[in-house]
Amino acid sequence: MWLPIMGMIVGIFLGLLTDIRIPEEYSNYLSIAVLAALDTLFGGIRAHLQNIYDEKVFVSGFFFNILLAASLAFLGVHLGVDLYLAAVFAFGVRLFQNIAVIRRILLTKWSTNQQKTEKN
Amino acid sequence: MDKPKKVSFTLIAVIVGFMIAIQFQTIKKPVERDTRDIWQLREDLLKEKELQSGLLKEIRSNEEKLSAYESKRKQSKEEVLKETLNELKAEAGLTDITGPGIILKIEPVYEEIKLGEPVTATVSPDLLKRLQNELNMYGAKQVSIDGQRVINSTVIRDINKETKIDGHAIKDLPIEIHVVTDSLKNAEKLYNHMQVSKSAEEFFIDNMRLTVSQPKPSVTVPAYENPIRVLNMNTAGDDKGGNT
Repeated sequence: MWLPIMGMIVGIFLGLLTDIRIPEEYSNYLSIAVLAALDTLFGGIRAHLQNIYDEKVFVSGFFFNILLAASLAFLGVHLGVDLYLAAVFAFGVRLFQNIAVIRRILLTKWSTNQQKTEKN
Repeated sequence: MDKPKKVSFTLIAVIVGFMIAIQFQTIKKPVERDTRDIWQLREDLLKEKELQSGLLKEIRSNEEKLSAYESKRKQSKEEVLKETLNELKAEAGLTDITGPGIILKIEPVYEEIKLGEPVTATVSPDLLKRLQNELNMYGAKQVSIDGQRVINSTVIRDINKETKIDGHAIKDLPIEIHVVTDSLKNAEKLYNHMQVSKSAEEFFIDNMRLTVSQPKPSVTVPAYENPIRVLNMNTAGDDKGGNT
């Protein structure tokens, strides 16, 4: 469980140390991609906690969601419609749902653990 | 979660972290607030305007040059005239001329100089004129005597017992006469003529010796320095000449 968090911290450090900056006009796409990636990550954590985690689904979902979000934003820019809002909405809603599910699972786990300790 | 699953999860976490960091850096730019007051703004504006005017000046000068070049190309007639003028100047003796030629040297006869007596030998104008004529006869083109260019209107005369060429007094011997000819061949010819000319003997009578140098490929004759005064010349009329 701690390894992914460590990985994320390492990634953030790497990103900050390399001092890479992408052009302003592409930051929209990256923000959408980040949102998609976060969504997938939390989806993966939830799936893991629910014991339905599938690596193929997770990895393919990660890249596919990122690409889809970015291309949606791209299409939106060229159509003159803020299509990236759709991606933001979808991913935002899913992010909240996932986090809510994770919270509930963790809560039940915690309460069962406490009950066990009380029994003992 | 078994090991390969963990690894892939971690890798993706790293990628997500990386993306977040980049996005963060891209968005987080130092916010530069414009805190200049009106005077600073005016100063900056002034600087920019100066820059602008400098650039405009540069552009203008370049355009001027361009148009000047174009007009020059159109007015090649002027160029021809200038060339003609330069040719005429060279012909009139207003330019330095370097070419093949010989150098004559007039010096007192040292054997005749007696100890304690002043050297009295002076070049008489008649002798010089004669020498000049001889040089001209045998192919000299440009001549300078003691650094004075001899042109068509040059006068060699005796003023107060001093031989003067266009006002330049010839006092001290030895003097050098530079002669420029058309070609080295002509210089050679002139040299041969001067070897057997009578002038040398006549100079010797006046206690002077005329020595002629070997033809040289490059002898320099200085330009005529005084202004040329044209007193008795008129431009020819349109009518035919020769009707006297």
